[in-house]
Amino acid sequence: MGNILTVWIDTSRKRSVVFPLSLTGVVLLLMMFFGVLMLLEQGNVIELGAGMFYKLLTIHGTGMIGIAALAGTAVMWYFLNQYLDLKLGIFIMNIVFFLIGVTMVLIGIFSYDFAGGWTFLYPLPAISGGMWGQTAAALYLGGMLIIGTGFLLLYLEFSRAIIKEYGSFAKSLGWPQILGIVKGYGPAPAIAAGTMVCIVNITALITGAAILAMSLINLYIPSFTIDPLLAKNMIYAFGHIFANSIIYMGVIAVYELLPRYTGRPWKGSKALLIAWNMSTLFTVIIYPHHLLMDFVMPKWMLILGQVLSYANGLPVLVVTAYGALLLVYRSGIKWDIASSFLYLSMFGWVIGVVPAIVDATIVINHVMHNTKWVPGHFHMYMGLGACAMIIGFMFYLTKVEGGRQDNRLDRLSLWVFIVAFLGLTGSFLFSGKVSAPRRWAVHFQEWVPADIIGALFGTLVTLAFLAFVIRFINYASNIGRMKSNVDPRIEKHG
Amino acid sequence: MYQQAAWVITLLLSAFVIFIFLFVLMKSGRRVEYSKVQAKGYFLRSIWLVILLVGFSTASYYTLKDLPFERAEGKGAPLDVYVEAVQFGFEVSEEKLQVGDYVAFHVTSSDVNHGFGLYDENMNIVAQTQAMPEYTNTVYYQFEKPGTYTILCLEYCGVAHHVMSKEITVTK
Repeated sequence: MGNILTVWIDTSRKRSVVFPLSLTGVVLLLMMFFGVLMLLEQGNVIELGAGMFYKLLTIHGTGMIGIAALAGTAVMWYFLNQYLDLKLGIFIMNIVFFLIGVTMVLIGIFSYDFAGGWTFLYPLPAISGGMWGQTAAALYLGGMLIIGTGFLLLYLEFSRAIIKEYGSFAKSLGWPQILGIVKGYGPAPAIAAGTMVCIVNITALITGAAILAMSLINLYIPSFTIDPLLAKNMIYAFGHIFANSIIYMGVIAVYELLPRYTGRPWKGSKALLIAWNMSTLFTVIIYPHHLLMDFVMPKWMLILGQVLSYANGLPVLVVTAYGALLLVYRSGIKWDIASSFLYLSMFGWVIGVVPAIVDATIVINHVMHNTKWVPGHFHMYMGLGACAMIIGFMFYLTKVEGGRQDNRLDRLSLWVFIVAFLGLTGSFLFSGKVSAPRRWAVHFQEWVPADIIGALFGTLVTLAFLAFVIRFINYASNIGRMKSNVDPRIEKHG
Repeated sequence: MYQQAAWVITLLLSAFVIFIFLFVLMKSGRRVEYSKVQAKGYFLRSIWLVILLVGFSTASYYTLKDLPFERAEGKGAPLDVYVEAVQFGFEVSEEKLQVGDYVAFHVTSSDVNHGFGLYDENMNIVAQTQAMPEYTNTVYYQFEKPGTYTILCLEYCGVAHHVMSKEITVTK
């Protein structure tokens, strides 16, 4: 009957995450490679040319967020199957939409030269300055629209199942417990997190779909124009929320697995539920911190962008990461690679919050905005936080469901990943401190040394990640097939 | 100044985060009753929350007094300089300025979104705002040192984004 680490869900559900996670491994690896190429270009080590650099920039940003979000849905899907009656067909449909959309995006970028960045800031897709044409932009924007539609349908399915089981989002976010109407613990942390992700991402994806559709119309009917400030607000509302949701999906693995590793419960306490309600609200409304240098924005929105960005640090600093530290402290936890990654993800999230909050301060953003400080903080948060959650989940699966044993290579690659990622993000932050712009194909000589150091650390990160991917793919076919992990109570239905 | 402050604050707080996580890692071995950990942990959490609230409130209070898009009182009427960005260059109404000039840069774009990043002679950003079509952003800056300042584009705008620049000369 397996062991205490086993998650008791239908074996077909277990197997369903193998393809998206394998795809995640391969695509993340490729995107990391592209990232290193860009650093080498900035460091004058290779010569790609500006056109290719900006194409890589576009696919790197789009691909990283897209594939990490797909992996995030796999984490959320896997664990919420314990609580909810979810439809497998919708999960698979999202993957199909994703593949169709990605194909369009890749053709748009590499066959038709689209290089408008993931931000596709209106009216850049239609006014390329001579690099790409209408078809390129239409393929990219259309591909993004299809990818977003797939995700939207999946979150609607999660929402349907949550409301069916708990009655409403208010209940699955623990309002009865917060208001004292119902005594005791509220829904499991995974449910609160899942509800938050549904609310924020449905909001984000509808906003994103609207601006993508408007941009597509503008491509073919130039007289149909959009207010550029409105367009920018919509794009950053969509991009900020969707990218942030990755870590909120990934943390479900921490909520579910760390208690199993430590033998200590992680319940839906009032503090945890309040934190998830705060995160729901703040994640939706703090996106103006991306527009702090758009001084035509209403002053109150810019000030809220700073103050609420600070406040958005509280749920993780006071509840989630703090809770993880309490869970691990004097727990006698048996460390393995998976639990190490889950613990690392809490560290990565917290340490990534530091430069993020610093940059959300308007007077600092005034001299840091669009420098490499920005990728410095979000690579820290995404790489050591969100990716560590996903990698931890992958290692967990291949160990508990795939029969893999931790070996020396796993331990070595774990430590290389940690040290090299800190070095990579440190080089970005340093570049930001000395005012090196982000999204520049060519850097001035004084900025080059940090780019080369970044490329070296980036190469080490990529090699460590290659080792993780090989280990995952080697054992992935066993997932969902080990008899010892089959729960007969579930299988009779499955 | 703000770049250095950001760097030092980040390094110090990051060192604190590393210390806390290493400390808990080192203390993860011997198991004790969770209720004992919780009792002490929840008490410390209250203190931690108060520290964060005080820290965030203090930082907000002081930093929101110095907003770059608000004209500083007591510096007199600013000198208006109009900047228009276009793929792939800048048009600036006044390219020669003097030390002590308190300048209001009125920044817009005639095509796509660009960035207006003002760099000093040491290639450090001293002011910036966005250059957006149909809108004009105004940023204030007082030149205190002579030299050649460079405007660079800080918002990705296409294949020659990185070659967009314009020099401004500031004399005594």
